[in-house]
Amino acid sequence: MTTEDDRHRPSAGKAFVVLASVFALLFGAVVTLLAFDQYRVLAAATRLQHETVPEIIRYQRLARNLDQLNHEGERFFSSHSAEERQQALFLVMLVASHPSILEHPQAAAMARDTENYLGEINQLAARDPSALRARYPEWQRISQRMHLLVDDISVEGANLATADLDDMAGTMRTARFKLLGALALVGGFILLLIALLRQHLIRPLQRIDHALSSLDVEQPAPQFPDASLAEIHAVEEATGRLHKAMISNEAARRELELLANRDGLTGLINRRHFMVGAEAEIRRAQRYGRPIAVALGDLDSFKRLNDTHGHGAGDVVLRTFAGLLTDSVRQSDLVCRYGGEEFAFLFPESSVEQAHILVERFRQRFAEHDIRLPDGVLVRVTLSIGLADASHCPLEIALQRADYALYEAKRLGRNRIVVAAEAD
Amino acid sequence: MNSIRALALIAALFSGLLQAAELKVAVLVQDPAQISMQGKLIPSSTPGADLVAVTDELAREICRRIHAHCAFYYVRLAEILPGVEAGRFDLGFGNFLRAPEREKRVAFSDALFRSSSRLIGTPANVRAYTTKLAQPVNLANLRGARVAALDGSRQQAYLDRNASERALTVVATSTTAEALDLLRNDSADFALLPIRTGYALISRDKAQRFVFVGPAVTAHGLGDTAHIVLEKQNNALRRAANKAIAEIKADGTFQRIMYRHFPVFLD
Repeated sequence: MTTEDDRHRPSAGKAFVVLASVFALLFGAVVTLLAFDQYRVLAAATRLQHETVPEIIRYQRLARNLDQLNHEGERFFSSHSAEERQQALFLVMLVASHPSILEHPQAAAMARDTENYLGEINQLAARDPSALRARYPEWQRISQRMHLLVDDISVEGANLATADLDDMAGTMRTARFKLLGALALVGGFILLLIALLRQHLIRPLQRIDHALSSLDVEQPAPQFPDASLAEIHAVEEATGRLHKAMISNEAARRELELLANRDGLTGLINRRHFMVGAEAEIRRAQRYGRPIAVALGDLDSFKRLNDTHGHGAGDVVLRTFAGLLTDSVRQSDLVCRYGGEEFAFLFPESSVEQAHILVERFRQRFAEHDIRLPDGVLVRVTLSIGLADASHCPLEIALQRADYALYEAKRLGRNRIVVAAEAD
Repeated sequence: MNSIRALALIAALFSGLLQAAELKVAVLVQDPAQISMQGKLIPSSTPGADLVAVTDELAREICRRIHAHCAFYYVRLAEILPGVEAGRFDLGFGNFLRAPEREKRVAFSDALFRSSSRLIGTPANVRAYTTKLAQPVNLANLRGARVAALDGSRQQAYLDRNASERALTVVATSTTAEALDLLRNDSADFALLPIRTGYALISRDKAQRFVFVGPAVTAHGLGDTAHIVLEKQNNALRRAANKAIAEIKADGTFQRIMYRHFPVFLD
């Protein structure tokens, strides 16, 4: 039965969905951030590979071409003939005409100045070869400037990678923190999940397991603390209901057992139940060498009573007899309605003599007891009893001997006890 | 055993197919005397023989790298691009600059090297035009001159575009050597040539009659990267050629070929 309280109690499925959704959202967010960082790193790497590195190579080539220009200028001054100088000048012009130099304004200006300067020196040297030596210091200054430019261009080219690499390194650092965050998040979530599972699922299940293991009709109904999950609460409720059902079933079982083992009229145990109990008691007594006795009793002239006063009167006599009998015998003794007006007795821990005292006391008490019949008449009924020792023989034999003794008691005039002779 | 034989047969068949690839390769000559000659047989005394040798070696190396049998044809520039376009040649080695109108007709390989253009003239003509123009002569301010350029070249296209506005007379030549001949016999005042070609020709001129005039130019389609031209649809060949170019640049073969014929290697 679902109560208002139960409706507000979350189910395990819903709780799991909520937890999984929260985790998926958080983890998804972190993974998205990481993916974004990865995209940035890839973009920076691609830019480095396809744009920056080619650009760096372009700068390096330009620096190398300027070095070549410088080298050819040096060769111009070290030439030994006008033809060699002209060849060097052609090479200077070839190098100065290279697109890598032309597209760099500083390099282009430097190359143009170098070319013009060397062209001018070439013309001067054609007229006066000593001009070469006179102008060499000036060339050295130009050459020095060119070296500096080469250095600047080399550094400028190398610096191009710095921005991309810094960007990549920064992104990787951020990604590392995010990754650590993601790991912490996963770890924290797992710990939280374990704690929640333990608190709300495992421990309640353990309590239920313990309660079910020790569930007994003799024990009080199990008590559970208030469960937070609907399913656990339902199982706990069911456990309580199960306990109630067990108690109810036990009561029914006992009632049925009573009905099955008792005689409906007298309330004494019936013959079948007596035989089972007596067999067990005799086996026990014989195993331990203890005395035990059986007796068969029969109400005297019971048929005539029935015939005179009716069966209702017989029933009253039987119930009265059973009531007196129950009050008179020991708790350990077994007494049953053996059939009709015949009754069987078992006296554990009793010799025939001890049993004889007991039954004799009862016989006298019953014989003196007034019984009011339904028609208001007071009657007294006597009892004949056959008694036999059961310490050394099976129950059937002992009962048979008791029956012979009962027959003998009847024959001798009723209202008496006859002890069966010792077995051969 | 039979399967091994079958595999060997298939391998041999494929190998044979690759070996059987026959390519017709056009190589640019610099002088009419070099036309229809075999590369190694071109006399080194002919003008621009070094340039032809570089181009020839490059073409042969690329053929080797793409595992093709190549037949080489030594032809003028004006024949190469239409020849490739028409399928008469598979590869055209003429150091072609990219241009939109060329892109429509043929495909271009990856870059071989970078180039610019520069005017060449005699010192006498330089002085004359400096006086005439009242400023140092260069390509940008040149007016009223006869300028020689290689037929079918980007230099010729540039001059043609500016001819009427600047009163230039464009003299087309079939080879670069012929352009210098025009300067020698005063049939042209200047020649506009690729810088590398110009250098190769004037540095070998014993009489030293020619000089570079004005600065080199890369603008207006006169300079950029130089390429091999291929048939537009032949993507497989283009990919193979590009792979070969990358390989010979990476392993230094390209630089060694250049150094064999030029004192400097400019990249």
